[in-house]
Order: sequence, then C-alpha cells, then structure tokens
Amino acid sequence: MAAGSVLTFVIVGRDDHPIFEADLTSKASEVVNRDDRAQYLHQFVLHAALDAVDEQIWTTTNMHLAQVDNFNQLRVSAYVTAAQMKFLLLHDGKSEDAIKAFFKDVYEVYLKVMMNPFFTPNTQITSPSVHQRIRAIAKTQLKA
Amino acid sequence: MERPRRTCAETCLELLSLQIVHYYAGQNQAPLAASTEAIGFRVGRQLAERCTWDRPRLVDQLDVMKFICKEFWIELFQKQVDNLRTNHRGTFVLKDANFRWLSKLSSDLPAPEKADATEQNAGPVANDSMPSRPAANEAAQDYLHLPCAIIRGALTHLGLPCTVSADASALPACDFTINIRAG
Repeated sequence: MAAGSVLTFVIVGRDDHPIFEADLTSKASEVVNRDDRAQYLHQFVLHAALDAVDEQIWTTTNMHLAQVDNFNQLRVSAYVTAAQMKFLLLHDGKSEDAIKAFFKDVYEVYLKVMMNPFFTPNTQITSPSVHQRIRAIAKTQLKA
Repeated sequence: MERPRRTCAETCLELLSLQIVHYYAGQNQAPLAASTEAIGFRVGRQLAERCTWDRPRLVDQLDVMKFICKEFWIELFQKQVDNLRTNHRGTFVLKDANFRWLSKLSSDLPAPEKADATEQNAGPVANDSMPSRPAANEAAQDYLHLPCAIIRGALTHLGLPCTVSADASALPACDFTINIRAG
C-alpha cells in the first residue's frame, strides 16, 4: 500500500472560522483506512498555522505566502486574498509553483461563488459542484 | 476571468439606477434608503472581490483608499476621483468633479419660497442662488444611496468598516465623506 500523501485544503474566513474544508488526496482505499486521529492532527496543524499567516501578511503584498509553517513532515502553504480570506493547504512537499497555480485556480472558483447573489459571504460553502471543481483542480495542478 | 470583457451601454446603467430608486420608493415594505443600501452593499462587496483578484494585496488604510479612488472608481464611473483629502484620523473626503451617475440630474430647480427676493435660478449652475443648493442636494440624496452603499460595501469587504455620506450641493461635482470606525 502506497504511503498516504497528505493534502488538506481549507478556506478560512475573516473571523478565523473555516468556510470550506476538503481532503484532496486521491480516493482509492486511503479514505477507508484513514485514521481519524490523522484528521484531527491535520485540522490542528492548520489552525495553528493561522497565527503564522497573520504574522506574514503584514510583511508582504503578495497574495501567495509560500510556506508559512511546518510540523514534522507536514508543511502548510497559504494564500491570502485582499479581503483577508485565507486559503491554506496542508501538504508534505509539493512544489511551491504547483501550489501557487492551484491557489490561483481555486481563487477563480471562489470568486465565482462570491458573485452568486444567493451566497452570503463568510458562510459555509456547501455546494457539491464547488467541491468537485476544487478536487479536479487539485488533480490537475498537484498531481502533475 | 480571462474572457474578453463584454461591454454594455452606459445608458443602461444610468436608467437602471434611476429605476431602482423609483421602484423602491414605491414599495411599502422598507424605506427607500434601506433597500438601496442593501443592494449597494452587496454589489460593493462583490465588485471589490472581483477587482482585487489579480493585484497585490492592500496592507494599510491609505492603500485601500487609493485603490478605491483609482481602480475601483474607474470600474464604476470610468474616471478617477479628482481629489482626496484626509484628516489622518479616519475621515476621508473624495471629491469627484463630474459625477457620472448624477450627470443627468438637472441642477435647475425652482427656488423654494424663501424670503429671498433675488431668484436667479434660471441660469447655469454657476449662478445658482443660495437657497436652491441645499434643495438640489436633497433631491440628489435619493440617488446617492446606491453609490454610497457600493463604496461602503467595498470598504467593509476590504477590512475597513465605515460610514459613507455624500454631498451633492455643487452638481455635477459630488463629495463623498468616509468615516472609518476605529478599532
């Protein structure tokens, strides 16, 4: 069995609450065998990384903050929009360029969600088609 | 987002904003100001999100205000703000010398029946007698709720909760006063 690669993506709103979470590893049998504790660990690491993101956003006007935090083998990369929405990706060593392209594509999807007049900003994104699209982007950008 | 931008006649936008005011003025469920504020706020947020998507982030208050005065104003009104003043304590005044959305608003109002014998309101704007200026401003306020709300929505979305008011005493120029809530 191949070692599971870690790939969790979270969009965090202005008040530090997640409005979107997705586990982007490829389906296969890893989902069934996935340890619940690993899930909690991922969430914890992402949450802890928010502090690091907050420090870094004042130092640069870039949207893409490469790697903001790491914990053992897990790394967290972040992307912050002008409206202070944070996109966080928990991974274990993908190339920063691929991650940057991933974030940019996800930002486009997020923008379309924002344009939807029925969507209240800063609330949970529950649309299944958004989930699907983000998974598809992850497949193209982060597996290539 | 890389699609070629579709264009739309500006007249459509002007007529739409006029009709919004007329429609909601006739509704009984909510006062005009509240309805148009709600519309404008939402539009402001979405527009701010869209306009900032491919530019570097804005880290401080002044950057946000400059963005509003330049890029945002160009998106909405096809021109930049002409003058920006601030007291460096959270109040900004944006002066637009030729506010497009009010350009069709006649500044030629009949003077109110005040105790002012000299009524020379039939001339061009420069000769407006004093009593008709506040009246012009009041008449324009209905139409200014929408732009004010759009600006407020954009600023709130970019992290600056504020209040926006407009002063149209000197049509076609329009002053927008923005008070940013501290803390």
